Amino acid sequence: MPPSTPLEKFEAMKADALVMGGGPQSVRSLAALSDELRDASNLMTKIKLPMLCICVTHQLMATTFGGTTNLARKPEFGPVEVSVSDEDTILAGLKPSFTAWESHNDEIVAAPPRFKVLASSDNCTVQAMRHEKMNLFGVQFHPEVYHTLKGADVFKNFLKVVDDYKRS
Amino acid sequence: MSVTLEGFRPSSYLTSETARLQETVGNGKAIAAVSGGVDSTVAALVAKRALGERLLPVFIDTGFLRAGEPENVKARLGDPSLGLKVKLVKAGGRFLEATKGEAMAEEKRKKFRETFYQVLGEEARKDGCDFVVQGTIAPDWIETQGGIKTQHNILEQVGIDSLSKYGFRVVEPMSELYKDQVRVLGRHLDLPKDMSERQPFPGPGLLVRCIGTVSKKKLDLLKSSTMIVEEKLGPFNYDQYFAGVIENKFAKEPVYKNLDETAAGALGLPSSETRVDVFEDRVTGVKGDTRSYGRLAGIRIQEDSRETYGWLPEKLRLAQSSIVEKFVEVTRVAVLVKEKRGGPSLSVVVRAVSTRDFMTAAVAQVPWKILKDIAESILKTGDSSRVYYDITPKPPATIEFE
Repeated sequence: MPPSTPLEKFEAMKADALVMGGGPQSVRSLAALSDELRDASNLMTKIKLPMLCICVTHQLMATTFGGTTNLARKPEFGPVEVSVSDEDTILAGLKPSFTAWESHNDEIVAAPPRFKVLASSDNCTVQAMRHEKMNLFGVQFHPEVYHTLKGADVFKNFLKVVDDYKRS
Repeated sequence: MSVTLEGFRPSSYLTSETARLQETVGNGKAIAAVSGGVDSTVAALVAKRALGERLLPVFIDTGFLRAGEPENVKARLGDPSLGLKVKLVKAGGRFLEATKGEAMAEEKRKKFRETFYQVLGEEARKDGCDFVVQGTIAPDWIETQGGIKTQHNILEQVGIDSLSKYGFRVVEPMSELYKDQVRVLGRHLDLPKDMSERQPFPGPGLLVRCIGTVSKKKLDLLKSSTMIVEEKLGPFNYDQYFAGVIENKFAKEPVYKNLDETAAGALGLPSSETRVDVFEDRVTGVKGDTRSYGRLAGIRIQEDSRETYGWLPEKLRLAQSSIVEKFVEVTRVAVLVKEKRGGPSLSVVVRAVSTRDFMTAAVAQVPWKILKDIAESILKTGDSSRVYYDITPKPPATIEFE
């Protein structure tokens, strides 16, 4: 579904959560976003459902909430060891580290205020983050690809968040 | 288990696609473009269920096929268990003429596509077919639309109107599926295991493994090397394995001088013991979801340490990632297995990967002994002077070279 989808439509669909994937764009400045990414950014600020953002939309989450995204000092392509500093929710059971697949030229260089960093790699400091209070989650790596063998665990953990949200 | 397999029901997929095909084609006739690969074979079987005798399977011999392939495929698909009576169309000369002198991968692919559909259009006219059924799957259009590479079987998704241009409409019964789902569907249709698990072969075939311009010399070397690689690696069950051929012409940019040091640093060797050659012809890669038409770097480790490193995949992986991180232009790294001084100025690059859905791929850990064995067999033919092993995952490389 495109990020221009109105919130009411997600409600009408009885969506339980939202996952946004990656793409080739750069999101270093809010002013220079494409329409599609501006919609995605707006969606993040309005939605109440739990949300998981991957790669470019993870970076967009940082830009949207006052963090900084910039050209990576060292980009990452293919397998990367991700070290978990905080198992929190989505990375539960993944300490101390796991191999994830990456493909990015940009990275978050400063996480936004009120977000906590959950994992990092040698080249990239914000591999995963979450908002302290809200159900907003972001990962730089790709949990959805086959070669990230623990990727399914990240989704299962996210689904637990979704269950808790539905019960509350 | 791959994420894409969960929730995929071949029987309900088949029911809905059969109905959709019958509605689209009506009482008309359709060609099924087949290559013997699992995608087009399964698409043809689905279409046969829907259309019966109104489906005409056509195999185009592009000249970029492996030795004996057209005849083998025709015989295999014509087996009573599959019942696809294939018409063989020989068009090798036209394809070679259309791609002659072209070094750019995307141009080669587009010229191939153009010739491919012209030939299909002629066949459709001859047989009174208004439709062409093809085995396009999701990664094909995802990568074409995303500008990663032009797959030859993508038309409508990039705004090409096949009806006005070639005289037929395209039907793609599997355009939303991934490779692993296609294999499940194939098994559901009783496709024999050797066919449903068949080694993938790209539509443009050896054209995209002949890096840079095509020549008869390169194509011949590629055919013999392909046979050697398939024979030696076949028993290992890697998801994909093949050879590519590239000319030993090297880029001279001064920045590449620093590559020797980067590689040596990552390998923990003095820089006098490693040398990195950057090939002039470009290869396709994908960095950060964007196409990157870049360089192939070949690491040459001094002969007496080479074997040791051949058994240290982690060290080689580190050398590969250090190079690709630091040199924006480099999308692929290969390590020299063996060379023959004074041989013809051509290199063979062997590639083997493990991949489930062809969206990501890991380098296969082929035992060094086997790689050496392959290299010796290839060099023995006397048509090349170097044999490399590609040590790049996808991303940043793609699975195929172009």
